[in-house]
Amino acid sequence: MKKFLLAVLAAAAIAALPASPAAQTAIPKSGLPVLTTSAGQSNDANTVNAVLEEADIKYDYCDVPTVEMLAAGVGLAGKTSAAGFHVEVTTDLVKYPKGTPYKTVILAIGASLKGMGASGLTTDSEEARVKKLIDACKKAKIFVIGVHAGGDAARGPAGSDNERMIDAVAPFADFLVITKDSDKDGRFTKIAAKTKAPLIKVDFALGMVEIMKKVF
Amino acid sequence: MTRLKIVLIFIAAVLTTLGAIPLYRHRHYQVPVVAGPAVTRVEKLSRFAPGLKGTMADTDVFVLEGARPGGKALLLANTHANEPAGLLTAVLMIENAVVEQGTLYVIPEFNASAGRNTKPGDGYPLYFDIPTEWGPKRFRMGNRDASPLEQWPDPDVYIHFPEKQLLSFLDVRNTNRTWPGRADGPLMENVTFAAMELLRSEKVDVAIDMHGAETMFPVTNCIVAPLKSSKIATLVSMNVKAMEGFDNHVEPSPANFHGLSHREIGDFSDTLPFLLEAPIPFLDQPTGPKTVDLLLDGKDPFLLSLSRAKKLFVPYDESGWPMDKRVGQHCSVSLEILRQFTKKNPEKGIVLSGVPRYAELVKNGVGRYFHDPAKADPKSVHFE
Repeated sequence: MKKFLLAVLAAAAIAALPASPAAQTAIPKSGLPVLTTSAGQSNDANTVNAVLEEADIKYDYCDVPTVEMLAAGVGLAGKTSAAGFHVEVTTDLVKYPKGTPYKTVILAIGASLKGMGASGLTTDSEEARVKKLIDACKKAKIFVIGVHAGGDAARGPAGSDNERMIDAVAPFADFLVITKDSDKDGRFTKIAAKTKAPLIKVDFALGMVEIMKKVF
Repeated sequence: MTRLKIVLIFIAAVLTTLGAIPLYRHRHYQVPVVAGPAVTRVEKLSRFAPGLKGTMADTDVFVLEGARPGGKALLLANTHANEPAGLLTAVLMIENAVVEQGTLYVIPEFNASAGRNTKPGDGYPLYFDIPTEWGPKRFRMGNRDASPLEQWPDPDVYIHFPEKQLLSFLDVRNTNRTWPGRADGPLMENVTFAAMELLRSEKVDVAIDMHGAETMFPVTNCIVAPLKSSKIATLVSMNVKAMEGFDNHVEPSPANFHGLSHREIGDFSDTLPFLLEAPIPFLDQPTGPKTVDLLLDGKDPFLLSLSRAKKLFVPYDESGWPMDKRVGQHCSVSLEILRQFTKKNPEKGIVLSGVPRYAELVKNGVGRYFHDPAKADPKSVHFE
């Protein structure tokens, strides 16, 4: 009888344990090639690129890609870096030759006035640019992943630069990956509940490496 | 009347002498550093810029070499000598690091003149003691800028070389505004030029410049990195947050702000530069008296009020921001930079052991890792 009670208690304790985020939400699959970019020009685009490198996923990156560059596919129309404009092409060109349409775009959400200023952008023009890019993704049926890795520091009061970047990306993302401290107020949870997009929360940005390995 | 003048001159001379004696002692106080197991030689920075030879701006370069060849890294401390967590980290590395692969250059007193200067207008203490198992280890508290005794007069405006950017007159004595320097410029440009020559001639892969910054300054508790170093910096930031539980975000090095190590080292050499900023409440303006306690424990009631009003750029509570935590951050971030660099460039690996990380330093205190110079082989004791 004692053993039976212990077994029941153990089972109840296990059932009461919070499930891991990955267990709560199925991680969607998406395809390569992938373009990474920024929504707000914070350093979080670097975080996304570092996460992909750790996950051994090759990518193309541009901090301010135009709709035309997106449409040009892998290689970003041969554009090269210049002041306030950065391009990096690491995609495996044997598997995905130049011009291969992107299947996925990852937007790193986080506003930096310094970063936007360096690219000659204001919050208004960055917001408009991001919206155009997302519209183009939707038309081309490109899978959009929104990443928020900046935590509490990359949040702000309603209408602030960071929140405007969240508004520009999160409601339109097919998948959201965020750090737990990015969602202290439950904003991302509410958006994901509304759009039905899968939302994964990780303790630290480093945890996104395993998530991205499963996505691609 | 003449007698009164003589008396007044005498009183002035006595007061000046009494005030000058502690400053003279401070300027000539020597801090013993025990060369650890990896130190193979100690050179002078003037080897790379002979103009420094014989001046108070010349300084020691400790060379720590590993058995296996690999990459090279330079660790700079006391670029700003009033931000001493870097100095303690550098001494800790010199006394304890074992280099498994590659070479580590350590300059504990990069602005040696600033390390013998003070800021009397701000009431800086001249010294601070770190408790160790064998008694207190005394360090000089320096200033941000080199002493006018080494470089004087200041210009009305400092015109940066070679970019011709106009900077504050004081920055002509600030070795984090005089990069990349030149051999025939002011003495502090000579100091940074020597370091650039070291980086270029020795083909150094990584340079880490350790600083401290106010809690009210946005560029604090971070790694400042130019684009070429930003991926490694980001990986470091992610790793220390996840593995060691402390924040250290990445700040991009502004492309058009000249004279700083994180900008010019990258632009004028193949080296990847990183500048580390650990919060130092002592440097904030709205604090109580600038005491040794404030320097070491970082506790201040005015900053606590400002923290409650969300005016600080770092989390701040009754525990302050102690020196051990700052040194721990510098140690862990530096080790992680080398680890990430080695991961990406295994043939140029720089692998250290014997250096404590953040949690150990917070638990044990930095003094635990300083060696007693009285018990060390005299040949291994160097005076900084």
